[in-house]
Amino acid sequence: MSYVIDAQGLTKRYKSTIAVDNIDLQIPPGRIVGLIGPNGAGKTSALKAILGLATYEGKLSVLGKSPANDRAALMEDVCFIADVAVLPRWIRVWQLIELTENIHPKFSREKCLQYLSSTKVTLDHRVKQLSKGMVAQLHLAIVMSIDVKLLVLDEPTLGLDILFRKQFYTNLLNDYFDEQRTILITTHQVEEIEHILSDLIFIQDGRIALNKSMEDVQQNYAELMVAPDQAAAARELRPMSERELFGRHIFLFENANRQQLKELGEVRTPSVADLFVAIMSGGES
Amino acid sequence: MNRLMALIKREFWENKGAFRTTPLVIGGIFLAAMLMFLITFNHFDNEFQSLKELLRFIAQQDAGLRAKIIYAVNLEMSVFFSTVLAFVVFFYLLGSLYDDRKDRSILFWKSLPASDTMTIASKLLSAMVVAPVIFWVVYVMTHIVIMLLFSVVVLALGENPWTLIISLSSPFEVWTLVLMSYLAQSVWALPLYGWLMLVSAFAPRIPLLFAILPPVILGVLELWVDFLKTFTLNENLFGLFGHWFANSPLIMSGDDYNDEFGAALGIPITNDYDHQVTVANMLDRLFSTDMLVGLAIAMVFLGGTLWLRRRATES
Repeated sequence: MSYVIDAQGLTKRYKSTIAVDNIDLQIPPGRIVGLIGPNGAGKTSALKAILGLATYEGKLSVLGKSPANDRAALMEDVCFIADVAVLPRWIRVWQLIELTENIHPKFSREKCLQYLSSTKVTLDHRVKQLSKGMVAQLHLAIVMSIDVKLLVLDEPTLGLDILFRKQFYTNLLNDYFDEQRTILITTHQVEEIEHILSDLIFIQDGRIALNKSMEDVQQNYAELMVAPDQAAAARELRPMSERELFGRHIFLFENANRQQLKELGEVRTPSVADLFVAIMSGGES
Repeated sequence: MNRLMALIKREFWENKGAFRTTPLVIGGIFLAAMLMFLITFNHFDNEFQSLKELLRFIAQQDAGLRAKIIYAVNLEMSVFFSTVLAFVVFFYLLGSLYDDRKDRSILFWKSLPASDTMTIASKLLSAMVVAPVIFWVVYVMTHIVIMLLFSVVVLALGENPWTLIISLSSPFEVWTLVLMSYLAQSVWALPLYGWLMLVSAFAPRIPLLFAILPPVILGVLELWVDFLKTFTLNENLFGLFGHWFANSPLIMSGDDYNDEFGAALGIPITNDYDHQVTVANMLDRLFSTDMLVGLAIAMVFLGGTLWLRRRATES
């Protein structure tokens, strides 16, 4: 099987710091991958390497091409939204569409107009006249109208209100995603994307802290909620983390016996956010 | 090719004000000035007696002399357009690789399947060809409208515009010369254009400062060191720049040719090249050793520009 992204020993060094530290990463087609990490963990550096926006060391192949040497050719099959509202402010919507149509061989004007028809964006608008949310809608409409194999979204909804954010991911999942495509997303608002992800990657200090499919995450991790009198017994089972909420103790377990846990209290699958906190703080202690 | 055209179109869209509105305003100023002249004249001399006498006087002059003056005046009319064009191109190039870095829209441009080389080429071609050709078209249009207006006035005053002026002017030759001189200037100015793009790709802020300060500091230092060593002022960076300017293939000034006034290429204070306005003299500059050195310098600057543009999203 050929991977969409295949990185071996991927390293990104700035003058004195190492942003990405010898990462191995294989992403097959047809996945929605969440790349989650704290600020400064190396997410953006890794994405920039993948998109040919920055130099790197190590082996990296995206759709069989080298991003560093072949960015222009690679961009025929890769689209990305890096940050919100980076569309040029002077451009009019019709100009943006015409330009993309002339430059991108896989752009469909019909699709784009169809996506835009459900928004308040009109062809005569200048980008600078649009609200931040409308710019995001416009950018998403453009990107979804391009038939590419890999879509990279780096904080695509930062600073948007919750209605826009929900709509954004709903559109992405319903109208865009299929078996042939791969989507790579980074965001801090983990709870909004966890239900659409198929794979989860945690990155910390330039290294991969976790790389699992969501099914594996659901099988491997369990959250146990117990009354205070059962807390000691739960600690015996060596949880990854413990926290208190409304007088109840919540423990997170990796590869624990669910049956055994159920005897102590209520067992659930942890949210990605809680798992993230547990693994990130676990790595430090 | 399609992509390059799309990128050039994008440059036009972004710079419509500078590339299209500006020359139209200059054309408008010419026409307004002409109308104001007529109205003012009418105010003081509503029979246009003195203008009639002037036209009669002109009509009595030797046709050959008249033709020469009309020819020179028509060429000189382009100078106003050229001057503004030079400023437009200067500031366009200075912002060409800076503005999208500043507002981060470079992240969108880099997401398109267009190489950095093609992006730089589209901007350079916009400066070298698109802007000059638009300015030239408006210059020609202004010229035509002024000729028509003038003919109407001359006709109204009872003289024949055809024999007086139109038959003596050779508009197509003038227009061709102006266009050729614009395009020749684009090549002649390549070292400067390369420098401006390099600065535009490099400057962390205020590209104008980065464009002007280094050569000025270098030139002053050179002058100073030279003066300390020899107590004379030899050829230095400023002199080089002066020669480059004075030897330009752009119609900039006038000169005496056998006691008759005519337009001149560059400024006729140097003897390196013939300053008379002919295509041969323009080509003489473009196929010179000076130009070869200039092209080499431009290549170095543009190579640096490409290197910087590739790394513009690095941090």
